Amino acid sequence: MSISSDVLNEPQDRDAIIRMDDVSVTYDSGDSYVLDDVSLAIERNEIIGIVGESGSGKSMLASSLLDAVPDPGQLSGSVEYRPVQDQNVEVLALEDSELRALRWEEISMVFQGAMSSFNPTMKIKEHFIETLEAHNAPVETGLNRAHELLEDLYLKPGRVLGSYPHELSGGMQQRALIALSLVLEPDVLVMDEPTAALDLLMQQSILLLLRELREKYDLTMVFITHDLPLVASLADRLAVMYAFELVELGPASEVINTPTHPYTRALLNATPNLNAPLSEMRPVKGKSPAPINVPSGCSYHPRCPLDTEECRTNHPPADPVTPEHTAACFHWEEARTEISLNYAETGTNDGDWR
Amino acid sequence: MSTDPLLRLEDVAVHFENEAGLLTDESEVVQAVDGLSLSIEENDVVSLVGESGCGKTTLGKTAIGLQRPTAGRVTYRGHDIWSVRDGESDADLSWQEIRQSLQIIHQDPGSSLNPNRRILSILSEPLRQVNPELGTSERRERIYSLLERVGMSPAQDFADRYPHQLSGGEQQRVVLSRALLMNPDVILADEAISALDVSLRVEMMDLMLELQAVFDTSYIFISHDLSNARYFTQHGDGKIGVMYLGQLAEVGPAEQLIEDPQHPYTSVLRWATPDLAAVDTPPQELPMRKIDVPDPIDPPSGCRFHTRCPEAREHCRQTDPKPVPAEESSVRCFRAQSTSPYWDSEPLEEND
Repeated sequence: MSISSDVLNEPQDRDAIIRMDDVSVTYDSGDSYVLDDVSLAIERNEIIGIVGESGSGKSMLASSLLDAVPDPGQLSGSVEYRPVQDQNVEVLALEDSELRALRWEEISMVFQGAMSSFNPTMKIKEHFIETLEAHNAPVETGLNRAHELLEDLYLKPGRVLGSYPHELSGGMQQRALIALSLVLEPDVLVMDEPTAALDLLMQQSILLLLRELREKYDLTMVFITHDLPLVASLADRLAVMYAFELVELGPASEVINTPTHPYTRALLNATPNLNAPLSEMRPVKGKSPAPINVPSGCSYHPRCPLDTEECRTNHPPADPVTPEHTAACFHWEEARTEISLNYAETGTNDGDWR
Repeated sequence: MSTDPLLRLEDVAVHFENEAGLLTDESEVVQAVDGLSLSIEENDVVSLVGESGCGKTTLGKTAIGLQRPTAGRVTYRGHDIWSVRDGESDADLSWQEIRQSLQIIHQDPGSSLNPNRRILSILSEPLRQVNPELGTSERRERIYSLLERVGMSPAQDFADRYPHQLSGGEQQRVVLSRALLMNPDVILADEAISALDVSLRVEMMDLMLELQAVFDTSYIFISHDLSNARYFTQHGDGKIGVMYLGQLAEVGPAEQLIEDPQHPYTSVLRWATPDLAAVDTPPQELPMRKIDVPDPIDPPSGCRFHTRCPEAREHCRQTDPKPVPAEESSVRCFRAQSTSPYWDSEPLEEND
C-alpha cells in the first residue's frame, strides 16, 4: 500500500464545500461537551453519512453547521462555507439576517417527522409560497420548480400541492418536505433522520430518489442517522460518532468492508443482517456515556475489549488507516484481527492482512 | 379440544367506517384486514411484516381481543373470544382471563408508563391483579428478581425510579416485565424495538426470547424490518407473515421466506432491507412500478399488489389469487401456480 504524503499532509486541499474545524458545543458554562472538537471537511457533491447512537452528538453536529445550536449551548471553533472554491464564508460570524438567507438558499435542512415541520392548517402549496416569499424569490418560477421536484420524488404535483399535510401519507409528507427544502436551490441538503419514522420500503425508496436528486441538481448531502446499514449504500463516505466525537471516517465501502475502530466493528456486529449467521449477532456491551461523564483518554475504553493503560489516559488522535480513511484508536490494527465481524470482511479472512 | 391452537383467526375482517363528514358526502370503508386466517400455537413466534398501513397492527390487535373483527372469528383455546365477551359462550372462561392472557407492548414505552409513579408501583399493579394473595414484601421480592432478570440491576435502585429517569431501552424492559407479570399466553410486540437504537435491538430481542422460555409465552411480533423479523422469528422457530393491504401475501418459516421468497412483494421487502455485504452495489432501481401504497378505501381489483407489482399481468388485474397453502407456508400469487392462466396473459403496461 503506498500512501501519497501530500494527500496525507494536506487533506484540506480537496474541494470542501463546508469545513468544520475544532467545533465544540458545551453546556453548563463549559462543563459538559455535547460536541467535542470535531473537524470535518464535507466535499462538494458528496453524500456523507453521519452515524451515531442516540446522544452521540450527531444532531448537534448538524445544528452546528448552521449555527443553530439550541440555547444555552456554546458553540466554538470554525465552520466555513465555500459556495465556490476559494470563497470562504465563516458561518459562525454571520449576522442573523445573513444566517437566515444561508439557511434556506445555500444550506437547507430536513428533519425527522414531516408532520411537525408542516403547519397543519396550511395546504402544501401555501408552504411553498410562504417559503419563496420569505426569501424574496419569484413565486411563479418557484412553483414551477416545486412541480418538477415533486415529480422527481414520484409525487403527483397537483394533488400534493392542493392537499393539507394530514391528507398525505407519512412517506408523501416526507418527500414533499424534501421538495420544499430544495425549492430555493440550495447547494447543500442536511438531513437529520429524514426517514426514521417511515417503514423500511419507503426509506429505501427515498434513498434511491435522493441519489437521483444529487445527480440532477449537483447537491451535496449530509445524512444523519443512527442506522448504519441503511445509509451505508447511499453514502460516499461515512463518519461514525461516539460520545460527541468522530471516531472513524472513510469511504463507505472501506468503513463497511474493513471497519477499523473497535466501536464501529461492535456496532456492525450488533446489527441484524439478512445474511449474517444468527449466532454471531451480538449487542454492544455497556452504555454510551452522558455528556457530564465522558471517560478520560479514549471515551470508548470502558466498553472496548482492547483497552490498555494508554487508552485510559491519552486521547487517541485520528490515525490514517488509508489516505482517505481515519480511525481514532491506538489499537486499530489489532481491532481488525481481534474483533471478528459477522459478515464477510474483505482482506482479513486468512490472516495475511497482518 | 386438545388440537385447538392457542389462538386462531378464521377468515377475519376488520373494516373501519369513516363517517360522512363536512368534506365528503359518502361514508368510506377502510378495509384494514380482509379475510385473513392465521393460527398461533403455544410457545410460538409469529412475525407480521409489511409497510405502514398494511393492517399488521390492526391484525395484531384483533388477535389479542383489543379490536373486534367485523367478520370472522377469533378463538382462544377453541373458544370464540367475542362470544365469551358477550356472555353467549358456555366456556368455562371469563373475558378478564382472556384479556389477561393476551398482552401488548407498544413501540413507545414512555407513553404507556404512568409518569407519576415509580417503577415498583407500576409493576405492583399487575401482580396484585394476578396474585392478590401475595403480601407486600413478597410482591417486592418478585419484582426485584424480575428486574434483575431483565438486566436492570441493582433492582432496588431501578424500582425506585420514575419512568423519565430510565433510558428508552430500560423503559421497554419495564413494559415487557409488566406484560410478563400478567402471566400471558401471548404478547403482541407492536414495533416494540423500532424506537430503540439499532445497537440495542438485538439485545432486546434476545431478552424477549430468553424470557419466552422462562414464562412460556408466544409472541406476535410486528415489524416493518425484515432483518429484525428474521432474527426474532428464526430464533423463536416461528413463521413470518407478509401483509399487503389487509391480506397475507405470503406466510412461511423465516429462513425459507427470506432465502426463497415466492411472492413478488416479499422480494420487494427483501430489496428494501439493507445488506452490509452489498455496500458496493447499492440498489439501482425501484423494484416496483409505484412507490406509494394504494388507498385502502378503494383497494385494487384482482390481486391487490398488481398496481405496483413488477411481475403483474392482465390476469392479475381481473382475478384475485387465492392463497395456495403448501406444507408450512402459503402464497397468494399466481406465479406460485404453474397452471395458472397468468402465464398466458399479457404483461401490464407501465401505468396500469
